[in-house]
Amino acid sequence: MNWLLSIIYLVVFPGILFVLGFAFFAEWLDRKVYARVQRRVGPPFLQPLADFIKLSSKEDVVPEKADNAIFTAAPIISLAAILAAFLYVPVVTATALHVFEGDLIVALYLLTIPTLALFLGGWFSGNLFGQSGAMRVASLLFSYEVPFFLALLAPALMAGTWSMSGIVVYLYGNPLAFVVTIGAFFIAVISLQGKLERLPFDIPDAETEIVGGPMSEYSGRRLALFRLARDAEMVVGAGLIAAVFLGGPWCPFISLDPGYIAWAVGAAFFILKTLIVLGLLILMKSAVARIRVDQMVNVAYKYLIPLALAQMLVVVLVKYMGWF
Amino acid sequence: MLESLVKWSRLKSPWILHFNSGSCNGCDIEILAALIPRLDAERFGVLLKGTPRHADVLVCTGPVTRQMKERLRRVYDQMPEPKFVVVVGQCGCSGGVYAGAYGVVGGIDKVIPVDAYIPGCPPRPDAILDGVVKLLAKIEKGGG
Repeated sequence: MNWLLSIIYLVVFPGILFVLGFAFFAEWLDRKVYARVQRRVGPPFLQPLADFIKLSSKEDVVPEKADNAIFTAAPIISLAAILAAFLYVPVVTATALHVFEGDLIVALYLLTIPTLALFLGGWFSGNLFGQSGAMRVASLLFSYEVPFFLALLAPALMAGTWSMSGIVVYLYGNPLAFVVTIGAFFIAVISLQGKLERLPFDIPDAETEIVGGPMSEYSGRRLALFRLARDAEMVVGAGLIAAVFLGGPWCPFISLDPGYIAWAVGAAFFILKTLIVLGLLILMKSAVARIRVDQMVNVAYKYLIPLALAQMLVVVLVKYMGWF
Repeated sequence: MLESLVKWSRLKSPWILHFNSGSCNGCDIEILAALIPRLDAERFGVLLKGTPRHADVLVCTGPVTRQMKERLRRVYDQMPEPKFVVVVGQCGCSGGVYAGAYGVVGGIDKVIPVDAYIPGCPPRPDAILDGVVKLLAKIEKGGG
């Protein structure tokens, strides 16, 4: 039975199908809320699915100047890395499918792979717009990745472990610990917005400047996969922040009996917390306009990184005083 | 089953590319007016795209000048199949007042195949949306 549960975990519930379904839902929610903020009606519920099927059924074009292997591999690798990262996020109970000391670091690096895949795909697409977009992707990597890692260090220091499941177990014991790291939570959300290349950090695919950025030459099923990978990255990133800062499946009724009701309630709370993080991402996108490359570096290095370091100091002090 | 699913997805998600092959900009302003939040084309799944690789519907304005003929042909060829062309404005339909001028080839259909014509000088934004809806009805009947 154990292997059957593992397969269900991998493929159906918190695994591939759940992430992909949630990714479609997240894109719809994103576009709908964005439209409502602009006083529009917004797309219908099945719009992301229609876009995906339409793109998958279109003609398969590889530009003559593009490197076929890398051009095709980039979207597949980015989707695979994101789905692999989700295996380390605790969804149902405090322990994820696979747990080891340091899985937080591994998940963070897996979430960096899509950015590199996008860079390679844009660079080898043989298009000048694609290449300048790819250069922007690579140069912005250094401005949001550092505050993102530093912000996620705070709860790890708090719990004294490098494992995401370990952090969630610690939050089960000390639910109020999230108050201490609330500053790092907001820094992580802002950096995640940069990681996802959404407004105000959508500099790499600024359609008013460099048509489609690294995705300029992508069409058909490769574009569909890239879009799906980006939506899945949004869900997995939000889920990771929800788990590490807000305790993932933790809720006041966690000690329910029998076990499967506790699992269902835990999963529901995980989804709820992920939706809260997604809501923050969407509202930030609706409220701001695009900034320039140098402004983005300023935001990251002048404000986010010092604040993240101050947050770590607070955590160290709190631990030293023995309050948590 | 699969075919009807694909057809449904095509009807629900027409992404457009806007191309000006020599227009006076009157029709272009009306196209942008058709995409404003008040009319909200996104409720039909319409998105304005910057690159021909992403687009399904090429929205053309203006008569084709001799300079733009090759470019129009190239942008059309860069779009992946299945693709559709909508012409906005009198000049694009027939050449309009520029028909027969020395620098002008004629209407859009002299260069690439056209699926829907929206006449007017310039057409109102709601007429443009109506033209797109008529194109979708044509695709539903089996034109796509």
